[in-house]
Amino acid sequence: MAKHAVATMDELLQHRFKLVAVNGLEVGIYLVGDELYAWRNVCPHAGAPVCRGRVGGTRLPSGVYEYEYGRDGEILRCPWHGWEFDLRTGDHLVPTGTKLKGYRAEREGNVVYLVV
Amino acid sequence: MDDWPRLVDCDVHNTMANRLELLPFLPKVWHQQWLEDGFGVGGKPWNAAGLERRDADPPGGGPAGSDPHFLLEHHVQPFGIDVAILTGTPYMNATSLCYDPDYGTALARALNDWMVEKWLSTSPRYRGSIQINFSDPQAAAKEIDRMAGHPGMVQVIMCSVARMPFGQRFYHPIYEAAERNGLPVAIHPGCEGLGMSYPPTPVGYPTRYLEWQNIVPLTYMAHINSLICEGVFERFPSLKFIAIEGGVAWLPQLMWRMDKNYKALRDTVPWMKKLPSEYIREHIRLTTQPIDEPKDPGHLVQIIEMSEAEHMIMFSSDYPHWDNDHPRMTLARFPRPLRARIAAANAVDVYGPRLLGNASVRHAAATDGGGARG
Repeated sequence: MAKHAVATMDELLQHRFKLVAVNGLEVGIYLVGDELYAWRNVCPHAGAPVCRGRVGGTRLPSGVYEYEYGRDGEILRCPWHGWEFDLRTGDHLVPTGTKLKGYRAEREGNVVYLVV
Repeated sequence: MDDWPRLVDCDVHNTMANRLELLPFLPKVWHQQWLEDGFGVGGKPWNAAGLERRDADPPGGGPAGSDPHFLLEHHVQPFGIDVAILTGTPYMNATSLCYDPDYGTALARALNDWMVEKWLSTSPRYRGSIQINFSDPQAAAKEIDRMAGHPGMVQVIMCSVARMPFGQRFYHPIYEAAERNGLPVAIHPGCEGLGMSYPPTPVGYPTRYLEWQNIVPLTYMAHINSLICEGVFERFPSLKFIAIEGGVAWLPQLMWRMDKNYKALRDTVPWMKKLPSEYIREHIRLTTQPIDEPKDPGHLVQIIEMSEAEHMIMFSSDYPHWDNDHPRMTLARFPRPLRARIAAANAVDVYGPRLLGNASVRHAAATDGGGARG
């Protein structure tokens, strides 16, 4: 395990996301609320560059013909097959057991480190 | 009597000797239209084999399936069928396709009273299906409430073709009425392309009956897809939906495709809380006829296994139609204990007490030929 400086907090506060590479490993760094998350840029479903997907919210579980939008900025939708992943846990929103591979991201001052 | 019934036939067609038979049950205002135009929904491509078995004509006259006593002697008793669920004819299921919805509703009401008086009173082995006009859902719901009190009525039945898929909110009053009366809703094919319906396929009209018959499962898949995605079984959690005569072998493909797409597009149906295949297994039931006939019958069993559908499949003969299935030969295709589930247990599970009747009826049916002639 080693710490790699990969981004600054200024970048993440502005874009909420940065795609970084360390020794050929691509990882998406996400700022969700005040928390940092790092997810491998490979969709465990079918190998897509999942971090190139759109981040947004979703329609929360609801009654029939009812619509409740929520979790804005917390859901990553894979660009290939549309699977939604919870950026806080890495879990697929359909409980299939599929989960993004995560790493630890840390901040020290304005510097964001990826631990791999 | 714990093993009773051992054989339930979920699709037996009963019909009238002629149109005059319906008049006592139909308001006078509709008599001329009925006598001159019948169901008035047109026809489909010519079938060289005919619609009905030529050997099933009642000796006393009238078309096959029109004599309740002969039907018992010719089909029910020889095969040891404990309970025969009468579905009417495909045209009777199609009052929903009549151009005039009030005419369709009047016909459905008349057919239900005719079913009770002519058929259910004849034998304790008979069970009836409530015809409705789904094109007027409020009237259909009233008709379900009116007929549900008869203990011999075991389901609501509709034709499998429609102008919009069956999951849509337009139909929900029907499901609400069925659920509150503890009745499953069944669909039956035969009217694809008739009356006010669209062509039998979304890409147009087949040229021959063979082709028409081949593609019936399209409508079934469309409706089941809609029922699941529109959340019908979230809204009506005890409702069961019976897909009669629509085939079985397509089941895994539909399940897999629906599950795959749900994994991607769950947020567009946020009321769905389970995989589509889980709703299908819980709420949809299928009947056997026309049985899929792979070279190796074991391959159909494999399809049922891969769909985890052992509890979903119910025997049906489709008597007296040309493509009906022989009960013993059909059931022999399935290994035990699946055979017993298909023969009766699955039907008992879905139809419940209405299928079983009371103990004295059960005894009569099991021992003396079910109140048949004499």
